[in-house]
Amino acid sequence: VAPLLEDLLSRRLVVLSGKGGVGKSLVGTALAMAARERGKNVLLVEIDSPVEAARYLGAAPVGPVLSEVRPGLFTVNLDPQGVMDEYVRGSVKLDLIARRILESPIYRRFFAAAPGLKELMLLGKVMVLEEERTGLARRPRFDLVILDAPATGHGLQFLKVPLAASRAIPVGPVGSNARRILALLRDPARTALVIVAIPEEMAVVEALDLQRTAADEIGVKARAFVLNACHERRLTEEQEAEALRLSARKAGGPLAPGLRLEEGLAAARRHMRKRKLTRFYEARVRRSARLPLVTLPYLFREEIGPDEVRLLAGRLGEA
Amino acid sequence: VSARRGRDPGAVLAHALEERRILVVCGSGGVGKTTTAAALGLEAARRGRRALVCTIDPSRRLATSLGLTQLTGKPRALDIRRFDPAEGGTLHAMTLDTQGTFDGLVERYAPSSEAKKRILGNRFYREVSAALAGSHEYMAMEKLLDLSEDERFDLVVLDTPPTRHALDFLEAPERLTAFLDTSVLRFFLKPYFLAGRLTIKVATKTGALALRLVDRFLGLDFLRDLSEFFLAFEGMYDGFKERASRVHDLLRDETAAFLLVSNPAPSVLAEALYFHRRLREKEMPLLGIVVNRVHPAENRSRARTTAGRTVKVRPELGQKLVSLLRDEQAVARAERKSLQRLEVETGLTPLLVPEMESDVHDLRALREVAAVLFGGLEAGNGASAAGARR
Repeated sequence: VAPLLEDLLSRRLVVLSGKGGVGKSLVGTALAMAARERGKNVLLVEIDSPVEAARYLGAAPVGPVLSEVRPGLFTVNLDPQGVMDEYVRGSVKLDLIARRILESPIYRRFFAAAPGLKELMLLGKVMVLEEERTGLARRPRFDLVILDAPATGHGLQFLKVPLAASRAIPVGPVGSNARRILALLRDPARTALVIVAIPEEMAVVEALDLQRTAADEIGVKARAFVLNACHERRLTEEQEAEALRLSARKAGGPLAPGLRLEEGLAAARRHMRKRKLTRFYEARVRRSARLPLVTLPYLFREEIGPDEVRLLAGRLGEA
Repeated sequence: VSARRGRDPGAVLAHALEERRILVVCGSGGVGKTTTAAALGLEAARRGRRALVCTIDPSRRLATSLGLTQLTGKPRALDIRRFDPAEGGTLHAMTLDTQGTFDGLVERYAPSSEAKKRILGNRFYREVSAALAGSHEYMAMEKLLDLSEDERFDLVVLDTPPTRHALDFLEAPERLTAFLDTSVLRFFLKPYFLAGRLTIKVATKTGALALRLVDRFLGLDFLRDLSEFFLAFEGMYDGFKERASRVHDLLRDETAAFLLVSNPAPSVLAEALYFHRRLREKEMPLLGIVVNRVHPAENRSRARTTAGRTVKVRPELGQKLVSLLRDEQAVARAERKSLQRLEVETGLTPLLVPEMESDVHDLRALREVAAVLFGGLEAGNGASAAGARR
């Protein structure tokens, strides 16, 4: 097992964060598969995700029900309201009373409006899942929980909630839960924050921002950086030079049935440009983040399925 | 007026830039919403409008896309002279200062300076208004109302947070008033607070239950902070409510419009469809859909028309060129399928923006995006934008 992956898999909780659209969900699925392939019971937690990670594994959407989509690989798509209702039911033992509270419009409206409550409940649920134990030996039910956190900007707000709540609510179970969640997030032995970005200016700026703010304001140090959708070398240096020469000469003509050389050369130029961006941002991340870095390839596929996930899982293992 | 099928979506958008007063740009994360919002602001300014681009997103995206390192809660003027703006055209940009907006609201509506002090110093208020997720949305609407009345600007382009939160944002006025409403919390917190102890008579049994629940989970101190907070807001509800309903009207007014931004990845378009549905349910005036970064293989036919000198390449290079092309085509095929679905399900012709030659994060690149959006009508830097469409 490669050092970085081993390092991540030895935690209890991996939190993935990054700008929207960087493929956190796919990276999370690949990490889950990599963990599974190394014999871990793993749970991937998504939050209110419209398109679930389960589909990457060829499974049907699981919704808020924790499901084993492959042997030893579980996913759940938490719904904030459902988590809150469950919390109330669990806390108020009397069914009748719980029902009356849940049915009360006051409760509904309070939940919809109280800032931060959703986030706190969701993180609380993640903590409960992490703490689940089974059997006589009280072994953890999951060896690893992977949390696909909401996108940065809001993802950062999301991670800030336990801190804010532990300050705002000095006593009572909610306050003390907030402090426990915060302790879990801050404990490097149990939790690893992994930042995901793609080789683009805004994604990288936000990712570096996230790293800094998480450390300075929340006290959570990021553990690793994943640069997803990287364009990897396809042409040798000589071929690149040749393609540029041919482009400059406006070379054309048939390339293959139905394809023309000028199209192929345009594709080569696009590829080289993307390669350049990939290299540029990779260097920048290495320089600024000073974290172990994994690069994952851009996938030219019509559909992403288990084969692609396996490919990325393999790459995580090589890092 | 929307980009219904058969209409030129670029013309619809151009018309909106000249006529509307508020453009709300929404869509899921990572689709280039902020870039689109900034490009629209720049184009509006070039057309002689006094445009302001405001982002609600707490991240620094807008600043980055404008080539700046930072934006604040105060509108900052951008130098757009080199883009040859029409007479009077200006461009400002700002980000939402949640805390400042909330404080401003309190200052405006607090019935007394005593009440103002109580709120601003309340622990619950401080944490809620500054640190907790969700406050951004609460305050965004408030700010929008302010800006719509600001005489320095005649067009506000609002960049919203990613989809799910953007929905929060649409519901923010209702939720804010619901939260602060007399009938929600105040009604059981106030008697508690006045009695100053736990054993109190509450108006209803449900209220008593809810109170007990809050007490049990949150503790007395928090409850006290919370009650103080609600008590302090007394006398301000009407002001809040009135403003919330004005925001509601403002967004449904014909001077406002929504623009949905997406990219052609199937999963992202699925999200755009969801968003489209929600906007429709809320009866928000949707102008059209911009789809960014459409794969260039879509426009393959253009390359065919350029006459080239017939050259035979080495087989190894030839094979690699073929595989690069085939890869692009696989992505383009998936995109095309999703775009067709989008068009059928929404009845709107999407405005397609091809992937640009370079990452967009300065004014010049924004100008190119605008040139593509509006059909590359102007000379300027349009040449390289056209290059991107190849």
